[in-house]
Amino acid sequence: MSEKSVLLVEDEDNIALALEVLIGRRGYRLRRVSDGDQAVAALAQERPDLVVLDVMLPNRSGYEICQHIRKNAALKDVKVLLMTAAGGEVERRKGLALGADAFMTKPFATSELTDEISQLLGETADE
Amino acid sequence: MSERFGLRLRVALFFVALALAGVAVIAGALWVGHARYGGPLDGYVIAGLIAGFAVAGLCAWVGFLFDENLARPILGLASDLHTRARANVDSAIDVGQARYLGALAPAATAIHDALEEARAAQARAVERETAQINREKALFAALLQDLAEGAVVVNSEGRIMLYNRVARDLLGELGLDRRISAFLRIEPVQHAIDRLTARRGRGEAEAESFMAATVDGERFLLGRLSPVTLQDERIGHVLIFHDATDDLKAHAERDHLFNTLLEQVRRPAAAISALLDVLEADPEMPEGMRAKMRAGMSEEMDKLFAQLRASGEAYGAATARRWPMAAVAVRDIFDALAARDIAEMTFEPGEQFLHCDGFAVIGLLALVLDGMAQGGGRAGLTLSAEPRDGEIWLTIGWDGEEAPDGLLDSWVRRNVSEAYGQYTGRDVLEMHRTEIWSETLGRGHRIVLPLPAAGAPILAPRDARPEFYDFQLSQQGAGDLADRPLAELSFVVFDTETTGLSPAGGDEIVQISGVRVLNGRILTGEVFDRLVHPGRPIPPASTAVHKITDAMVEDAPAIDAVGNAFHGFCEGAVLVAHNAPFDMAFLRRKEAAIGLRFENPVLCTVLLSAALFEHTGQHTLDALAERFGITIPEELRHTALGDAMATAEVFVQMLEVMRSRGIETLGQAIEAGQRMTRIRKAQDY
Repeated sequence: MSEKSVLLVEDEDNIALALEVLIGRRGYRLRRVSDGDQAVAALAQERPDLVVLDVMLPNRSGYEICQHIRKNAALKDVKVLLMTAAGGEVERRKGLALGADAFMTKPFATSELTDEISQLLGETADE
Repeated sequence: MSERFGLRLRVALFFVALALAGVAVIAGALWVGHARYGGPLDGYVIAGLIAGFAVAGLCAWVGFLFDENLARPILGLASDLHTRARANVDSAIDVGQARYLGALAPAATAIHDALEEARAAQARAVERETAQINREKALFAALLQDLAEGAVVVNSEGRIMLYNRVARDLLGELGLDRRISAFLRIEPVQHAIDRLTARRGRGEAEAESFMAATVDGERFLLGRLSPVTLQDERIGHVLIFHDATDDLKAHAERDHLFNTLLEQVRRPAAAISALLDVLEADPEMPEGMRAKMRAGMSEEMDKLFAQLRASGEAYGAATARRWPMAAVAVRDIFDALAARDIAEMTFEPGEQFLHCDGFAVIGLLALVLDGMAQGGGRAGLTLSAEPRDGEIWLTIGWDGEEAPDGLLDSWVRRNVSEAYGQYTGRDVLEMHRTEIWSETLGRGHRIVLPLPAAGAPILAPRDARPEFYDFQLSQQGAGDLADRPLAELSFVVFDTETTGLSPAGGDEIVQISGVRVLNGRILTGEVFDRLVHPGRPIPPASTAVHKITDAMVEDAPAIDAVGNAFHGFCEGAVLVAHNAPFDMAFLRRKEAAIGLRFENPVLCTVLLSAALFEHTGQHTLDALAERFGITIPEELRHTALGDAMATAEVFVQMLEVMRSRGIETLGQAIEAGQRMTRIRKAQDY
């Protein structure tokens, strides 16, 4: 498996802790930031292949980061996976409208998340 | 004498008598002169003839002047005054003809003027009152019509005196004078009345609330009940209610959802917590056991997630189903935004309708437009509406600087309107269960607000039928018959015999008889004559009147069967009865049992008699029969058929009288009767 990189934007430390281990175990290079501004900075620093984004973040919402990625030509191919606990159809639709590639409602089984991540990154590899 | 001869004849006779007396006096005087002093007779005769003719001519001349200048003007004046007393004559009295009558002519003119003035004042007052009544009626009708709640007024016996369309939609085919308990399970309402009475007794004045099911148990109504009082006497109650079935169902559904969620989350949470504790507490646990515990935890976790997902979906479905918001035209929303003049913008409205709180959505879009206008760098604002399966997306497009989600969010977090208090655009989104976002399309941007689409409101024809009634026999049902000539209609003249005089007090019909009248002829071959089992004993006092005993009705069918047959007998006919309200009250009370309604127009011979003849006189069936020279055989009097026959004969005669009085259509006949109802009521009460 190639060295794909994942940016995890999550302000809850416990779930971040678990996800870091899970994603790392899959062989991806992982960075984690915990608010919207840090996410924008991290994106500018180095382009990841996938951003796993929580919707509710301090400073900037996940929606806004998603918009930021989509309008930035340099980040054109970056995949975005949005997660939220306030998960209704309304949020899901807004997320997808703003350019997210996948949307997951918390809680989810970790296997679901890792499957989704592999799929998103696998598709990138196919292109 | 004065009645036998007219004024002019009497004046003429007076002057003839004067002439004769004059001639006689002259003749007598000449005779005395001749007898005393003698002389040639011819001289006396010639003098007598000349004097006699002169006196006769003089009398004739003066008599003619009297006739011309006194008798005829007096008669003319008298006739003028008579006409004015009976009818409304505008032209002034001709004073010229009465110039020799001295002060009489001016006096007559004064009477004429005073009469005219009084009549004009009366006409103005009537006009004013009528206009006022019509205004109030229109207001009342509109109020009832547009009331979103059902409204029913019942009298103290629980009979319906008034209802509106919503009440009919909720309760079924309501009818006037029918018991509300035929449509609504009455116990809770009765209980509310009792509570109301108790509270009134303590001096509290608020309305009482109630919840009651419809008779079929299909719907639950939630409403308020208030008393109708007239001169301190409770004469009925007003019930205002709405359909709470869906509310209650939704409430119960959510309760159930919430309780299920709690329980289904507690179980796996308890299991996971226990398993975790055990694992922690015993690091020495054998690997097989450890794996088993982990598998258990994972299983419980799956259950937990499955339950959360299922609950989320169920909640979403439950909340999405009910959308209590009105249909609002997109055009109206855009027009309102244009009127606010926030920024230069163009509109591309369609003819779509949305389910939304129009005011809130306008407020939300105004917040967004405000934000865009203040930031600058954005131009070519275009509002449009885009249909997308079951939804309408309201969009604001523009060129120039984009609007990131954070910025957009800061705009919608402001308060929508002073009128809504601390109510932000975000609250509007949540209330409408939607979101707002901005997206970039090619070189421009747009903000999207999806809202549920509504069908165009159905433009129902306004129901012209008034939904409130008075307590007389109404013109309801006369329908297109109202304008038909009476001569063309078929009538059923009928009579009922009963156990007593109080339909509301439990008295019942024991006999119904009717006869058909067509083209002014009584169809004696078409009679309806049936005994009815009243379902109760017949009081001896009543048997004494109509001679119907309990034994006679023992094998008779009940009112439902006889009423049904009578309904068929009356098909398409106008019902006529002597004192019809009495008979109709008995029949109408049985409509539920019969399963049919007597919607025929009704005429009452008592009211017609009052309208046609002086309304103060006697209008009993015997009096009417006597007036028209009809004899009722004694053995038939007070039998249903005998009285129906007598009434039919009276009615046939009345048809003739009505035609001569210009009452030619059914509508006019009903109107004449109703006018009498009012007059009689005004006299009686």
